[in-house]
Amino acid sequence: MRASVARYLLEAARVDERVFLISGDAGYGVLDEFQQTFPDRFLNLGIAEQNTIGLAAGLALSGFKVFVYNIIPFVLYRCYEQVRNDVCYQNLPVTLIGTGSGVAYAPAGMTHYAVEDIGLARTLPGLAVLSPCDPVETRLCMEYAYRNTGPTYVRIAKGREPILHDPAPSSVSEPILVAPGEHIAVLFHGSAGGEVMAAIKELSTSPKVIALPLLQPLNWEKLREMLQGVHCAITVEEHYTEGGLGSIVAERLVASGMSLRLHRLGLPHAFVHDVRHSAGIRRAYGFAAPQIADYIRRIW
Amino acid sequence: MGDQENPVAVERLMRLGTEARRRVIQMAARSRSPHVGSCLSCVDILVTLYFDALRIDKCDWEERDLFVLSKAHAAMSLYAILSLKGAMSDEDIRGYFVDGGTLPAHLDRTTSRWIESSAGSLGHGFSIAIGLALAQKLRRTARRVYVLIGDGEAQEGAIWEGAIFAPRLGLDNLTAVMDVNNLQGYGRPTELCAFEPMAEKWRAFGWHAVRVNGHDYTALRGALRQDPKGKPKMIIADTVKGKGVSFMEHELKWHYYIVTEALARQALEELEAKHAR
Repeated sequence: MRASVARYLLEAARVDERVFLISGDAGYGVLDEFQQTFPDRFLNLGIAEQNTIGLAAGLALSGFKVFVYNIIPFVLYRCYEQVRNDVCYQNLPVTLIGTGSGVAYAPAGMTHYAVEDIGLARTLPGLAVLSPCDPVETRLCMEYAYRNTGPTYVRIAKGREPILHDPAPSSVSEPILVAPGEHIAVLFHGSAGGEVMAAIKELSTSPKVIALPLLQPLNWEKLREMLQGVHCAITVEEHYTEGGLGSIVAERLVASGMSLRLHRLGLPHAFVHDVRHSAGIRRAYGFAAPQIADYIRRIW
Repeated sequence: MGDQENPVAVERLMRLGTEARRRVIQMAARSRSPHVGSCLSCVDILVTLYFDALRIDKCDWEERDLFVLSKAHAAMSLYAILSLKGAMSDEDIRGYFVDGGTLPAHLDRTTSRWIESSAGSLGHGFSIAIGLALAQKLRRTARRVYVLIGDGEAQEGAIWEGAIFAPRLGLDNLTAVMDVNNLQGYGRPTELCAFEPMAEKWRAFGWHAVRVNGHDYTALRGALRQDPKGKPKMIIADTVKGKGVSFMEHELKWHYYIVTEALARQALEELEAKHAR
């Protein structure tokens, strides 16, 4: 996903001189080519997240399309108020690219996990929130961010994720039907996608599989249409189910009066103290591929 | 005699300063708005900026200098000055901080094209101004960027993040002014933290720093005209909270107190007397 981001930024900068990239001391080996190709439109603003986001807002006020690249806590948590007041309140074209979604950096420890960022990001009106699952979606998310005239948040995992989409979708602006099916709909975003797709392969049955890279604004009408005819939905995400896709879908279902049983898989609302790799954490919390497959079999 | 000592120009700024103070008092009394003391301490700085330093009148709008009020709880002062400039109408001003009104107590840039950036939470406008100044450098324009921060605001970590990065970016088109009235919400900066020596701190960070009396128009004009090549500029302006209204001067309570009708009359009479002199 990181490579897709870097490639897209280079292409965008070649055709649009408003594109400006800021790193917060991150991007070694990823942003090098951009930095070398466009030294005047790249800045490493160091370990100073508040100033970085404020400065990005100042550049955007002056007509630049600013992309800020850092690990998620440093584009959203440390500088939440700058994102809120300086960027979102002023509706500026600043894209926050956060790496290390979910527990991608495990076992780096809880400080480096981003399991509540969607909850936090979706509190901000006008902030587009995107969580791609593979390099294909990542590119589409970057395109969405580039075309968006307001603020955008793109959360990615790290590098070397496999391509999950075949055929490739053309846009992320509405929910993507990854696999047609019946009875049960499996909804996911971000790095849970790999587990979901592996689980589906294990099954003899065919649930409907839907990717939701664009979580805000959610195209609920389209999703609602896609959920017609299934008797239950399962959300799977590498994020707290509270505040993430699980909450988003639950709110929509209740508000719309749609009668559908909802199961939510993901991280429980607790700090993670386990020292495990990402796959181990997913297993420990019940959303690794075999567990997702078992879950679907049980409720089929 | 340098031009900054031009007595006619200074006299004009003094009159504008008194009129701006009158408008602040009227606005505060009508709307029952706090932060009057914080507004009065920076009136002279804003007058000097808007009526002397900023290029905003005699140039294309797209080429104007930019000002960010980072200590945006002093919005009344900015509104008063923009009304004096003819950039805000009496109706805009009457709608300040009232139900169904026009202008909030902290800045919202959607209310007027003259508000360059929304602000209100301390430590934000400073970094935004750095971004604005960088944009001008990238575009190779001659536009300059000014930002006003408070002395309480200087305790924000974000200010020092900006302080350590701006010189590295070569932003000699950026001028920051710090309104040092030495009274914040609940105490004095010089007592709450290791505030001094403030100018030396900025010099150590690579800024061209000067310290002036923030109510002395000659000194303010002189400081704003200094043009250190290659360095951003910080003007530490020593001021008096509540300046211009005797019973508000040096009083912490005027960070919060509401100007009653009786007090407004008294304040306006004092300012009228000054105007007449």
